[in-house]
Amino acid sequence: MLLEVKNLTKVYEDGTKALTNVSFTLDEGEFVVLLGLSGSGKSTLLRCINRLVEPTSGQVILNGKDLTAAGGAELRYMRRDIGMVFQHFNLVRRSSVLRNTLSGRLGYNSTLRSILGIWSQADQQRAFQNLERVGLLNKAFNRADELSGGQQQRVGIARALMQEPRLVLADEPVASLDPVLSHSILKYLEDLNKEGIAVLCSLHIPSLARRYATRVLALNNGYLMFDGKPEELDNAKFKEIYGQDAESLEE
Amino acid sequence: MAKDKDTDKKRVLKPERLDRTPLQISVNLILIALFLLTYTYGWRVTEIDISKLLSPPDGLKGLVSDLFHPDIISRDAKTYRVYRTYLIPCDPTRERAGEVGEGVTLSPDCGNIGDIVTIAGEGLRPNTDGTIAWRTQQGGTKILAQFKTDENGSFSFTTRVPEAPPGQTKGQHGAEVILHWEEGSLQLSETARQVLDKMLETIFLALMATTLGVVLAVPVSFLAARNVMGTTRVGMIIYFLVRLFLNILRSVETLIWALIFIVWVGIGPFAGVLALTLHSIAALGKLYSEAVESIDPGPVEAVQATGANRIQTVVYAILPQVLPPFLAFTIYRWDINVRMSTVIGLVGGGGIGFLLIQWINLIQYRQAATAVWAIVIVVAAMDYFSAWIREKLI
Ligand SMILES: Nc1ncnc2c1ncn2[C@@H]1O[C@H](COP(=O)(O)OP(=O)(O)O)[C@@H](O)[C@H]1O
Ligand SMILES: [Mg+2]
Repeated sequence: MLLEVKNLTKVYEDGTKALTNVSFTLDEGEFVVLLGLSGSGKSTLLRCINRLVEPTSGQVILNGKDLTAAGGAELRYMRRDIGMVFQHFNLVRRSSVLRNTLSGRLGYNSTLRSILGIWSQADQQRAFQNLERVGLLNKAFNRADELSGGQQQRVGIARALMQEPRLVLADEPVASLDPVLSHSILKYLEDLNKEGIAVLCSLHIPSLARRYATRVLALNNGYLMFDGKPEELDNAKFKEIYGQDAESLEE
Repeated sequence: MAKDKDTDKKRVLKPERLDRTPLQISVNLILIALFLLTYTYGWRVTEIDISKLLSPPDGLKGLVSDLFHPDIISRDAKTYRVYRTYLIPCDPTRERAGEVGEGVTLSPDCGNIGDIVTIAGEGLRPNTDGTIAWRTQQGGTKILAQFKTDENGSFSFTTRVPEAPPGQTKGQHGAEVILHWEEGSLQLSETARQVLDKMLETIFLALMATTLGVVLAVPVSFLAARNVMGTTRVGMIIYFLVRLFLNILRSVETLIWALIFIVWVGIGPFAGVLALTLHSIAALGKLYSEAVESIDPGPVEAVQATGANRIQTVVYAILPQVLPPFLAFTIYRWDINVRMSTVIGLVGGGGIGFLLIQWINLIQYRQAATAVWAIVIVVAAMDYFSAWIREKLI
């Protein structure tokens, strides 16, 4: 078991209950899609797992180690195993594609070397390999904001791969992209999943979930309502979770 | 429709605006009285006197004219000195000592106090101003006349041998003729050289203060940015303390800091550098931290999520975003520091202001004008320079 989330609850400072008592596990090799309407708590859940958001209570256990109890250096050390891909790509727009990619390796490098911009031969090679893998080797020295949305998201994936993660969290990675690009991005995630990296990816389009997921989690209003195979989440089940007004699985 | 008519009537009559209550009237009267009081007092306290403005003192004309005749260039000053002795009484056997130069004769060259003597020059520098002085045996000097040689370089001056103090009436007297003129190419006057020297000091004062200010304000600004420090309780405490510190620093004017540092490190440019640096830190720290606070948080989170520490996050996710505004604020500060460094010398903080206030106090307005023009030119040039840099970089 790679990841275990136990009784995770998040109440924001303003009193919003974003997550209530969410528990699930995630094994190596799984491609888990997290479904839920906007505002159901998907981002909060993903961000609690690497503690970009501090959980109110509950535990996140990665590789048998309690991530919620880790502090300072230990937390940073554990974060290296968790790559993250964002809806809005979150690249440093004014920096080069290469520098954005290399920044995924910061957790492995000393502060002094990295602020001086000194990268080992191995790290540089790794960056070029990952850029090649997402088909952007020829853009390595372009500024990130010169790239299209789909290209920027691929840099985001390359950056996550630099961490040599065991788990990749993807928060609506295709939501701000043209629908035709969705598959191209999700295929990259599928490829790395096949190489043994577990993926936890939030989506709000059920048909995409069905196409890529080995398992589906469904959140509604901060509660985990469903945890099972994608084919079990049929129309009836979907309406049961999201109400009669929700769109069907086939859009 | 009826309703409309009603409101029309009301608008025309405006009854509530026409008859005011006594309370409203007295409140208005009090407000008017307060207004008048404030400005009457202000007028008196600041000693506003239009008649003074309209009838300037005679000195003003000279000042304005001096302003347009700054002391910038001069030529080499040259002199030529001739000394001819005059013996009292005549004594052909007596040796004459100390004669220098050529072209001037005394006739006669001996006699008594009160005798007629002619001092004549020949073959000297033509059309040149000179002075004639009489010297007694012990070296007492009396200016006899100012003159100018003619186009052939001659002059002639007849006078009586002047009285000498008791005890100095006998012995070797003499006439000293000094020609003075300017020659050679135009060159910078002593004033201009002093101004250039201090102007250089002024620019470097601004440069040192801006550089030190930037170097110190950058780290301080991150400590004063909520989105950097707000993640932990200790961070929040540091944030508030740094903000407080910056606010206090900023509320004290540069000239006052200069006065404080003059007491601390003595009069001179170092005190000025310290004062300007401190104010630069305060002003830039605030501007920089606001730039840091308005960045896109997305990349910061992304870099954090990779396992980067705080310093790495600052360098990789925040610095690239804040560089353009930092640069703009720095150039803006440089402009201010150049201006401030020209006046900080007025209180003793080094730079051109020191010369300026000195010359004004000595009523040497031509010299002061040189300094004023230098300030105008340098400040304008620096303005152009920074506008050019701004265009290139941002
Ligand atoms: N920083 C925050 N402070 C307060 N409430 C928040 C914050 N972030 C999200 N929320 C609230 O928490 C709930 C879940 O949000 P989120 O996790 O972003 O959902 P999703 O990603 O599924 O759209 C929403 O009601 C949202 O308004
Ligand atoms: Mg979301």
